[in-house]
Amino acid sequence: MESIKDDAIHNTAMKLAEELKNLSIYKSIYSDVQKLVSSPNVNKEDFKQSLQQAMKEKGLDTKLRNTVFHWVRTQGKQSKLDPLTSLSKASLQWEKRIHKSLNSMCSDLETSLAKIRSQSEQEELTEKWNELSTYSLDLSKYRPVYAPKDFLDVLLTLSGYVPFTREDEPKWEFSHLPLQVKNLEQLRKIYVEWSNGEPLLGVNPNMPSTVPGFATLEAERIGLGERVSALGYAPVIQEFLKKGSPQCLRAKLWSQVLGAEVKQQQIAYFNQLQKSVLEVDLMIDKLIFKDVQLTASNDDQYFVFEDLLYQVMLCFSRDGEVLSRARSSALTVPVRGRNERTAFPPSGVVPFHGFTMYATPFCYLYDDPVQLYYIFRGFYIRYWHRLHYISTHPQGIVSLCLLYERLLEAHEPLLWIHFRNININPIRVVFKWIMRAFSGHLPPDQLLLLWDAILGYDCLEVLPLLAVAILSFRKENIFQVNTLQNVDAVLADLSTISVVPLLQLALMKS
Amino acid sequence: MNQDTKKTAVTLYGRVNVPQERCRVNFCTDMEKSVLMSNFERRSWHQVSQDDEWNFYWASTQTCRNLFSVESGYRMNDNQMINHFPNHYELSRKDLLVKNIKRYRKDLEREGSPLAEKAEVVLHGGQVVTRYVHLDFIPVTFVLPADYNMFVEEYRKSPQSTWIMKPCGKSQGTGIFLINKLSKLKKWSREAKAPFHPQLSKESYVISRYIDNPLLIGGKKFDLRLYVLVTSFRPLKAYLFQLGFCRFCTVKYDTSVTELDNMYVHLTNVSVQKHGGDYNSIHGGKMSVQNLRLFLEGTRGRAVTETLFASIQWLIVHSLKAVSSVMANDRHCYECYGYDIIIDNQLKPWLVEVNASPSLTSTTVNDRIMKYKLIDNMLSVVLPPDGIPDVRWNKVPNSESLGNFDLLIDEEFIDKDDGTNIGGRSVKHSKK
Repeated sequence: MESIKDDAIHNTAMKLAEELKNLSIYKSIYSDVQKLVSSPNVNKEDFKQSLQQAMKEKGLDTKLRNTVFHWVRTQGKQSKLDPLTSLSKASLQWEKRIHKSLNSMCSDLETSLAKIRSQSEQEELTEKWNELSTYSLDLSKYRPVYAPKDFLDVLLTLSGYVPFTREDEPKWEFSHLPLQVKNLEQLRKIYVEWSNGEPLLGVNPNMPSTVPGFATLEAERIGLGERVSALGYAPVIQEFLKKGSPQCLRAKLWSQVLGAEVKQQQIAYFNQLQKSVLEVDLMIDKLIFKDVQLTASNDDQYFVFEDLLYQVMLCFSRDGEVLSRARSSALTVPVRGRNERTAFPPSGVVPFHGFTMYATPFCYLYDDPVQLYYIFRGFYIRYWHRLHYISTHPQGIVSLCLLYERLLEAHEPLLWIHFRNININPIRVVFKWIMRAFSGHLPPDQLLLLWDAILGYDCLEVLPLLAVAILSFRKENIFQVNTLQNVDAVLADLSTISVVPLLQLALMKS
Repeated sequence: MNQDTKKTAVTLYGRVNVPQERCRVNFCTDMEKSVLMSNFERRSWHQVSQDDEWNFYWASTQTCRNLFSVESGYRMNDNQMINHFPNHYELSRKDLLVKNIKRYRKDLEREGSPLAEKAEVVLHGGQVVTRYVHLDFIPVTFVLPADYNMFVEEYRKSPQSTWIMKPCGKSQGTGIFLINKLSKLKKWSREAKAPFHPQLSKESYVISRYIDNPLLIGGKKFDLRLYVLVTSFRPLKAYLFQLGFCRFCTVKYDTSVTELDNMYVHLTNVSVQKHGGDYNSIHGGKMSVQNLRLFLEGTRGRAVTETLFASIQWLIVHSLKAVSSVMANDRHCYECYGYDIIIDNQLKPWLVEVNASPSLTSTTVNDRIMKYKLIDNMLSVVLPPDGIPDVRWNKVPNSESLGNFDLLIDEEFIDKDDGTNIGGRSVKHSKK
């Protein structure tokens, strides 16, 4: 028995060692180890022991552990065939529709999907790279390819949506789909710190600390946070985030958990993306400009960061790693003026109305575009792509919608009935929140606390849970109204919502 | 405060049994701004004209001066309040503010107060100057034409620096320009009508060292507009409104000489920026102070952010102390000041000016919500718990009526407790 186990560990280690060689980080680790071996800290007699000790002292040990941690996370998520064929079919059709609408927009506007920029255009764009808000483009004819509402309509067809008729019961639930989602009891087991009523940041930072030596909870979290950050071990930091990060440490901690620290190599890669933006004009660029203008530029919380967001979003569209890690396929189109084809867009991501909101809250953590870029990309590859593609993944938008429905029906039955009576599909009033992970809806400080929980528990179930908690909080007002427009009005302003107390209340046993 | 203490507080003023009809507050206003009118209406106040028996007057500074002038012969009774101090200009006129702060520092120095400590500092231009350690919160400023020679002397010390000229009596960015050459100032003085003969010119100017290293966010310059409510100058009682905002320029900050005349780069006044092509009417270039704090804590860390906000409170308290001895501390008066503050890239705040009639025009939806709250909270701080103006009240609002105001300073309590809680939230009003 023991020997089989040993063999298994040995095989895993061998496989890992092989895989590590393919990672970009390998070369630098290898040369660091070589340097260590030749240092006086490592001796020939006790080679293994002394090398391990030296690696620990140098922090190489943590680096190696984090590398394995991040590698393991990317495994097993390779796109397997979707078990629900109806869903994968719908997903394909939806993407075809998007591409078709891109193509027809292109022919309407008599432009091409991809073309080489002229010399003068390149120069102007280069010169204005740091203030792209002044780069004049006529965008009046460009419209977002789709909005959350359009995407919801597609999702509703999945469940065999039949409009309400008097004879028939409304059949708009996602519950027709044979997908497994958790119930509240199971969520309580995941968010165990929250459901146990442990003190969390985001409730009252001046609450007295239970740990000796700290006056307030906030001081305690800062003290502990500084220690885990210095340790630098990603899984430990992730654990720390479960109870909320102090704003002053968040930038550091998030980048450590995501393995998104910026080194020379990352800067070079970003510059390459920038170069590709400057050289090739993709039709998608205009859609990106349009989206930043429609969202961030008009928002009093984000308008100051407009120029930063243009850079980040444009570079994102050129990033082939996004395509390979979050998506599997994209259009390929010829580049006019160059004898080659390109994936369109290279990231495989066609922005919808509000896509920029996936990146905006990071502006409160990073003012350097490169750092901002890698955090945004990290979040996108881990989470956000699941919110705007059709899949059966338990973290995918379909499962989240189903979870929302189940929670609402089970725990707010009167609201559920009210929605039925006024013939409004309850997902309609919250869908844009879930699809945008509440960005642009909650004020940034609250949003960052919510995203702490996403990163800390490494799952998105907190989004539908918060949606239900908000409805529950405002239910008396919802009972007073009976049109979609008025329900939307009741829910329009979330500026007074305190995310953490609301969620903790929902998770704690009564 | 619990129900019982509330009751005793009310009976203290003998108002519990006053019939409803006689309690009605009559208000008078010189401007029918919606954030004012909706607040008055919500309190079911009754609007009257200036000649009627008013209890609460929202007056322009001019009306206020007229009312208090000797010629008017108007005497207010105990149930009347007005929103300005008669000589508010000691704080709000750019030249007088500078004069008062200079005098305040000298007085402290003479007393040998540790607050007036001086030290040598190295400017980012390289030269070494002597500055107050704790009270160096206004840029070096001179009044023109009176201090012209002193200005020239200072100018010669660092001839590369840029200076900003502002007419003393004007607001909203009118008449402001930058100079970086003495010749330009001379040219201006020739063109303007004899401004160097004080007896001939009505208008005096202040010239201040231009803060050419402002903190930029998204590459843009901004200043802070904070609201400070003063209910008494002796003892000093002042409150800071939490919901201030940052006003951003619409174009990137650029110190090059060619942009020196482009006021869209340098002035943050909404009244200036509004005319720029890039003005956005949805957010109006305004971001909340809470979000500024979030950004600074997230990108610069906690300690420096805390220090910055503490120095802002410090600056406000001492600017008020600088004028407290010269203010006519009429007990019918209170005033809400608009403080304009610029933060430099070392995260040091600088007081630019104080406005006695901050704009109540709402440029955006959020602006309207914020200003409505400002007026609402202000009314509950300045009025006794029963809501009827009464100058015999001790001007100690309970903590619930503070709303979004934080107590900055209440000298009455400092004297009593012998505490040093200046600008701290910990000063609690809880009178037995």
